[in-house]
Amino acid sequence: MIPTPYAFTLALQSMIREKWINILSVLSIGSGLLIISLALFSVYNIDAATRSLPEKFSMVLYLDKDINKENVDSLVSALKKQGAVHSVRYIPKEEAMRELKAVLKNSSYVLDGLEENPLPDALEVKLTRDVVGPEAVKRLADEALKIKGVKEVEYAEKFLSALHYLKVGLKTIGIILIATLSTGIVFVCYSTVKILFYRRKEEIETFKLLGATRGFIRTPFLIEGAVIGTTGGILSLVGIFVFYYLVLLRLSVAMPIFKMILFPSTLFLPLPFLGMFLGMTGAAIALGRLRY
Amino acid sequence: MINFSGVTKDYDNITAVKDLTFFVDKGEMVFITGPSGSGKTTVLKLIYYAEQPDKGTISVAGWDTEKIKESDIPFLRRNVGVVFQDFRLLDNRNVFENVAVALRIRGVNEKEIRARVFETLKSVNLRHKADAYPLRLSGGEQQRVVISRAIVANPVVVLADEPTGNLDPVTAGSVMKTFKDIHAKGTTIVIATHNRELYKNSGKRVLRLDTGVLVGEEIG
Repeated sequence: MIPTPYAFTLALQSMIREKWINILSVLSIGSGLLIISLALFSVYNIDAATRSLPEKFSMVLYLDKDINKENVDSLVSALKKQGAVHSVRYIPKEEAMRELKAVLKNSSYVLDGLEENPLPDALEVKLTRDVVGPEAVKRLADEALKIKGVKEVEYAEKFLSALHYLKVGLKTIGIILIATLSTGIVFVCYSTVKILFYRRKEEIETFKLLGATRGFIRTPFLIEGAVIGTTGGILSLVGIFVFYYLVLLRLSVAMPIFKMILFPSTLFLPLPFLGMFLGMTGAAIALGRLRY
Repeated sequence: MINFSGVTKDYDNITAVKDLTFFVDKGEMVFITGPSGSGKTTVLKLIYYAEQPDKGTISVAGWDTEKIKESDIPFLRRNVGVVFQDFRLLDNRNVFENVAVALRIRGVNEKEIRARVFETLKSVNLRHKADAYPLRLSGGEQQRVVISRAIVANPVVVLADEPTGNLDPVTAGSVMKTFKDIHAKGTTIVIATHNRELYKNSGKRVLRLDTGVLVGEEIG
């Protein structure tokens, strides 16, 4: 169905004639898309902030006291063969003691009374970013414990779980919010087109009796839905840019923490197209349900 | 051109048209007459498929009601120009646009629309009212706008429902002259009227209806 210039004329006439209904719809759609944008903006920034945390994560394998150098080497090479392992560092107990003293600094005298080094040799295992999830790490830790020579495995289980559930939770909230608001926007367009249709019912009836096809009648409403949605999208795009450049950037002068916030401008550029799609979807549903 | 065969149409147990059989030849001008409620308007509505028959078959310009698909109805209507009893003019559009809409629906280009609309308005002496809005026109002028809209696309059949219903005798005469001119060009015309003056001495066929039944046929 190719829209004729007259379909655009009819849509434009209707938009001017019913300007208040259309303005109200544009504002509703713009607000909805702005909330979606803010949700995306928040999720993006939290995701960016937590993205580098797994790289700092490591698993420590404490080794048996009587393990010899050959056994350690074969253990390291066995671990390195695992796809989930990024790197393995051997920490002899002497190095571990030095590190402990460095950490304790002025309080290192507490270690002076020790006759022998109680710390075991250890392996520090760094994992690839994709694997750092609570279940995968636990599975890996269980497997490592089964290896001969490994006495104990230590990793930040609670931290990993918290991080994992924070991400999953945020993603879920984001998806629910986007789905709910998108449905709301479609419903706004659906209702608007339905109202506009009823207000032009006489005219449509006349068009039909003069030989208008369904396409001729439908197209101006689809155009109107698309224009309403696109305008709402542009409005939300302007809103999110204004929010960042006029609010957050100014705030960052006074509060440096806001300087950490990232603004993924390209993520928001499709907003007018999203608005157009939602607007046309609402219009199409309305026209599909109307009897004419 | 138009063929009714045993057509019956009911509205909520009220029979508007009963077992109606008649034909109208190509290029013929026919009057359908009868008192109010005799089924004249229903017959016209059946012709342009605003109503569908409960029984019988109707054939209009090659379209058969038994075979027609819903998507074909607009194309049937493009062959039929209708002068509605209640005019159905679009009050928020001027005379030019009211007439042009019949061509826009058919996808005619803008240049041709302008030429044909002005030519048609000229033929009904309304060229000077092209920019006026319907509510600013007299009843006779509105009627002529409706006629212009019905004929501007050169349909093969023109239907007119009480075309002189609210007009004074002089204006009614002018409207009838317009129909005669259109008919002279070979267009088939069906006029539903209860006004005897319109068909008296016309020399045209007159179908007389009463309570939905064809009760007589004569030459006016």
